[in-house]
This record gives sequence, C-alpha cells and structure tokens, in this order.
Amino acid sequence: MVCSLNNHKAKRWFSLPAAVLVAAVALGHTALAAEPENVFASAIAHAQRRCVKIYGAGIGRVEGYATGLIVSADGQILTGQGVFLSGTNIRVVTPDGRMHYAKVLRRSTALQIALLKIESATPDFFEVPEKSPVAKGDWVLAVTNLFKVADRAEELSVSLGVVSLRTRLDARRGTQDVPYDGEVLITDAITSNPGAEGGALITIDGQLAGMVGKIIESKSTNTRLNYAVPADLLQKFLAGVATSTTSPKGKGGAKLGIRLFTLTGTKRAPAYIDRVLPNSPAAKAGLKKDDLILSIDKEIVHDIRGYGKLVKLLTPDEEITMLVKRKREILRILITPTGPKTDATKK
Amino acid sequence: MTIAVLLLATSVTTADDTALLSGYRLTNKAFRAAAQKVMPALVTIETFGGVARPKTGKRGGGISRPGDGPTTGLIVSPDGWIVTSTFNFVKKPPIITVVLDDDSRHVAKLMGRDETQRICLLKIDGVKDLPTANFIPREKARVGQWAISIGIGYGDDDPAISAGIISATTRIFGKAIQTDANISPANYGGPLIDIDGGVIGVCVPLSPQSRSALAGVEWYDSGIGFVVPLHGQEKLLEQLKTGKEFHPGLIGIATKTATPKGQGAAIAAVAPKSPASKELKKGDRLLQVNGQEVIDVIHLKTILGRFYAGETITLKIGRGEKKLDIQITLAEKVEPIKRKKGRLKIKKIEAE
Repeated sequence: MVCSLNNHKAKRWFSLPAAVLVAAVALGHTALAAEPENVFASAIAHAQRRCVKIYGAGIGRVEGYATGLIVSADGQILTGQGVFLSGTNIRVVTPDGRMHYAKVLRRSTALQIALLKIESATPDFFEVPEKSPVAKGDWVLAVTNLFKVADRAEELSVSLGVVSLRTRLDARRGTQDVPYDGEVLITDAITSNPGAEGGALITIDGQLAGMVGKIIESKSTNTRLNYAVPADLLQKFLAGVATSTTSPKGKGGAKLGIRLFTLTGTKRAPAYIDRVLPNSPAAKAGLKKDDLILSIDKEIVHDIRGYGKLVKLLTPDEEITMLVKRKREILRILITPTGPKTDATKK
Repeated sequence: MTIAVLLLATSVTTADDTALLSGYRLTNKAFRAAAQKVMPALVTIETFGGVARPKTGKRGGGISRPGDGPTTGLIVSPDGWIVTSTFNFVKKPPIITVVLDDDSRHVAKLMGRDETQRICLLKIDGVKDLPTANFIPREKARVGQWAISIGIGYGDDDPAISAGIISATTRIFGKAIQTDANISPANYGGPLIDIDGGVIGVCVPLSPQSRSALAGVEWYDSGIGFVVPLHGQEKLLEQLKTGKEFHPGLIGIATKTATPKGQGAAIAAVAPKSPASKELKKGDRLLQVNGQEVIDVIHLKTILGRFYAGETITLKIGRGEKKLDIQITLAEKVEPIKRKKGRLKIKKIEAE
C-alpha cells in the first residue's frame, strides 16, 4: 500500500508483473476489511508509510546504511547514532522512493540515537508515546531495512516476535563497551543485523514501541543482542529531557584495606582475601583471610580483575554491602571505605 | 487510510481487526501466566573464577567463549537438587553460587553430568521444601504447540522470555526436542515450557555433528534450538546425584560411505586399541545393534548415538559368508584412525 502514494518516479520502476502484484495486494486489502485474515496488515502498512531508508558513509566492514523513523510532519527523522551519519552526504529515501539529503539536528550518546531533518513535509509520521505501550511477552513487529534488502520504494522487511525483557543494557560492540545508558527492550525477533538500526518496533495495532538498536553483544551471554530503544525514552529525547538514570560514578581513591590472593598470577582467579590490613575498614567490618568476595553492592565479583574494576568505582565514606563466602557460609558485610589519605590504610 | 490516520493516537486498526487482535493478546497473557508458574523453581547461577579462555575445540560459531553470566537452573527436588546445562561451567569455575526465587544465595556443588544431553546437577545444602519444576510427559509435547523459553542470562532479576512452537520431537539421536523459540546462553539450563507452564525440557546447546564443548552454540537464537525432556529420566537423575558422569559411547570404527542396500554398514577401518579392535575387522558389515536392523551408515550413527561409554552392546555382523554375534563395551575415548592418503578422508570416527 505504500506504493499507492503518487510518485511517478517510483512507478517507473514497476514492471508489469509487479503492477499486477500491487493490484492483487490492493484487492487483498479490500477483502481483508470484510473478513480479516492477516491481522497485522494494518499495523504493518501504517509503519511502512513512516519508515525511511538511510544511506551514508561506511568504514571498512561497518555498514553505511540504516533505517529511520519519521516523527514529525516537517520531516524530522529518528535513527541510530552510527558511522553512516559521520559524512556530509546523508541520504534519506522516503516510502515514496524519493531521495532527500538530511542533516543531523541532535544526537544522544546515552541512547546512541540521532535526530535528522529532511526538507520534505508529510502527513504520515509516528506518534512517539510517552508511556511504553508494551509489556514483557507482548507481540511486536520489527520493520527494518536489514541488509538493505529493500530498494527505493520497496517496502521494508517485517519480522514478528515478543518482548523478551525490559532491562538495563550491559553490552559491548566488538571489544569496546557500548556507552548506552538506559533501559532497552530485548526482543526475540532477530533485529541484530546490518541496516536494521533505526527501524520501527511496533505493537500489533501499529503503535510505536521502540526503535531498533545497534549490532552489539551482551556481556553476560557473549551473544548478539536484539534490542530496541523504548518509545518512552525516544519521547524524552525528542522533548529534550535527559534520559540517563545511572548515578554518577564514584570519584575513586576509596580504600578497603584488602589484599587479594594473587599467587597464581592469573587475574581470573576468584577474589580470595589474602590479608586484611589492621585497623582498615575491612578489619573493622570483620573480613578475614580466606574469605571469598562474591559481590559488591549487588555487582558480581567474578574474579580478581572484576574486584579491581569495582573498587575503582567506590566513593570514600559511602557504605557498601559485600557478600563474602566463608567456608560453606555466605555472609553479608557492611563496610565503609576510607579516603586515600587516612591512616587506616597505611602499608 | 484516512481513518487510520485519525485513529493514530490509540490504534491504527479497524474494528474487525481489533477483535482479532484481542485474540492475539490473549496469547501474550498466556505466555506471561505460564512463565509465572515456573518462576518459583527458577534459579540464578553465578560462577567465580575459572579459566579465561576454555579449551573448547572449535570456536563455538558466533561466540568466542561463554559470557560473564549469570545463567539459569531449575530446581528438581525440594531438598536442593538443581538441574542445569554443562555449558554454564565450560570455564570450570571453582566456586558456584545459586540464588533462589526468595533472593537467598547458596554455595552450590557441581555433581554428576551427562555430556550426551549437556545437563548436570547442582546441589545446595541446608534447604528444604523448595518448589520444583513440573516436567510434562514427553509424549505431551507435540509439533506446532506453543513453547516458551525462559532464561535469566541477560543479568536481570526478571527472566527473559521467547515464544515459539515445538518444531520436532525426536532430534539428536532421539534425545532432544526442537523448538523455534530463541535458545541461547541467555537460557541454557533454563526451561522450555508449554502454554500451561509445564516444563517440556531443559534448554541446552546440542549439535548432531560435533561434540566439542561449544557445539550447538552456533545455532543460538537461530530458530533451531534444543531441549532435553527430563520426564522419564528419573533413574538417570538418581545416578547423577551420586556424581556419576556420562559420556557418549565410542566404538572406534570408520565406515564406508556407501554400502549396498540391505547389507548394513561396512567397516572401512578400525581404530587401534579401541573397543572395536578386538572384535571387528575391516570389511565386516554391521547388520544389527541390540537386535535392531542397521539400514545404512547414517542409520548406524543414529542407533549408536544413544549409548553411553561403558555400556555393552550386542552386534550382529556379516564377515564374508558368515554371520556372527559379538558383544562390545563402548569407550569414552578412542585413538584416531590414521588417515590414509587419498582414499580415507575420515580422520577419526566415533560411534555416534
């Protein structure tokens, strides 16, 4: 139905069989009203009219194309924050097959998204809801131009899945941490493909539930994550409200007075305490040699390396909760680190 | 189309669609309700220490090594026995803890394992009356019915779910059920449940081709996922509780790729010092295994894949004109058969 928009340029591309197909689709749609067979058709058609194909610069193996969402009548477009936006030559192909040049209005590092603008008015744009229209387990449709399969006025690719989970993102891209700071919708529809970034995640009645994210790997599973930026966070970005929810990280310099057992030379050994410095916060809290540190403030300490990373983030004088294993028992220990200059941590 | 635009704020669908859509939404409710039923028996597994880069044979297509976790397990007895996947311990962590639904954390001990099904048992002490998972009989799992996978692996207290259907009921030598719900490190060790919340099986990585530690992981989130049903495996679980390990049983033969129909599977080579070396010769034809007819080479693989190391099987073989019955005890490891230049392309043949 996207093709029905009056665009002569696009129509020229149709061979005769394609035109017949379009007619068949149109007929099918009429029949649908009488006896609806494809319950998702209206929602998909709605989204197809509001999604664009974006082409820009690519670097090496990083793709130079993506999908985008039209979010205003004056041609504002939401998409991912990627390499394809780095050049001066950002091209947007609207559903009618027309190509427009776009400029970047704003970006959000926290959500890894960007707002573009093309000089083209349209009555068809996504309403971005303030409240998320989906819960875990709800059906969602992903409408994306993965692998740039769709060309010009061709409709984008659609896949069906459910919302798996809404959670905070802890992920990386390649070997680097992803700077994303906020919640994501994880879906079981596979969206982690080149070009899908910026695509629409919609409910089965066509409301915008989120925007498909980047190709990244979860740190906890080492697998590709199929995620979308939730619509409510997109709305906050559009409204200019900060979306970051993490508290500022500690200033560092906090001391606990713990020496770990590192004899094996590996950083992957469990974080066993080798020595508790006298009069240190650790000693006062009752930690002992051979205790195994399991977690600090709910963050799991997998090994010595993990311990080092977490301790760097602590703030002096702010109490933390440590879970330690002592023989077969697990103890919860409250401990307040001191600053770097206090006597307690003298060597 | 004009109507659609006017209705934009709430919905873009027609009244007819809305009736159907509400039907679809019932399935969403059912998914959530089913997941809720199994939640009390779901546990979060954390591991501490272990090797950074475990030797896993081949790179487990798609992932270089297991992530930081957490991973998922299922309580199978009120006194603290937990079933999960061996995948979750590929790093050989010295310390394992388990967090129950009530947020209590316990030190867990890794007990027996079955490498053919990639499952193992954990034990936590000092607990009683724990809620257990309800495994449905295998025959109740039918192709086409709803299947929901559940896993804690993304690191949230709240598990992630994926919905699909059962794709096949006899896979990997008849041991596994196949689903198109996403199965991945996010839910290995966790349950695949039916729409009523009954557990169809435990999500595991499996591959019909390979036995390396990460084999099957290359199919994560691909629409091809496997679970092993536990209903009817009570005897095995009892043995796993004693710490017993089960490995695939190997015989030590290479078979000719083509044997004339009706003549079983012909042996192309025998591995030195293997179970086969004492009893079998090159040129023998395997006709029956434990009374079951061997149709061809591929069928032989399917039959032998069901047995564990240490099990004794009875073979009927054809040697020239003679037919012989012989007994062979399968081994956990066999030496590779040396490659002969040109003709034999198989480096090592395992009885699977």
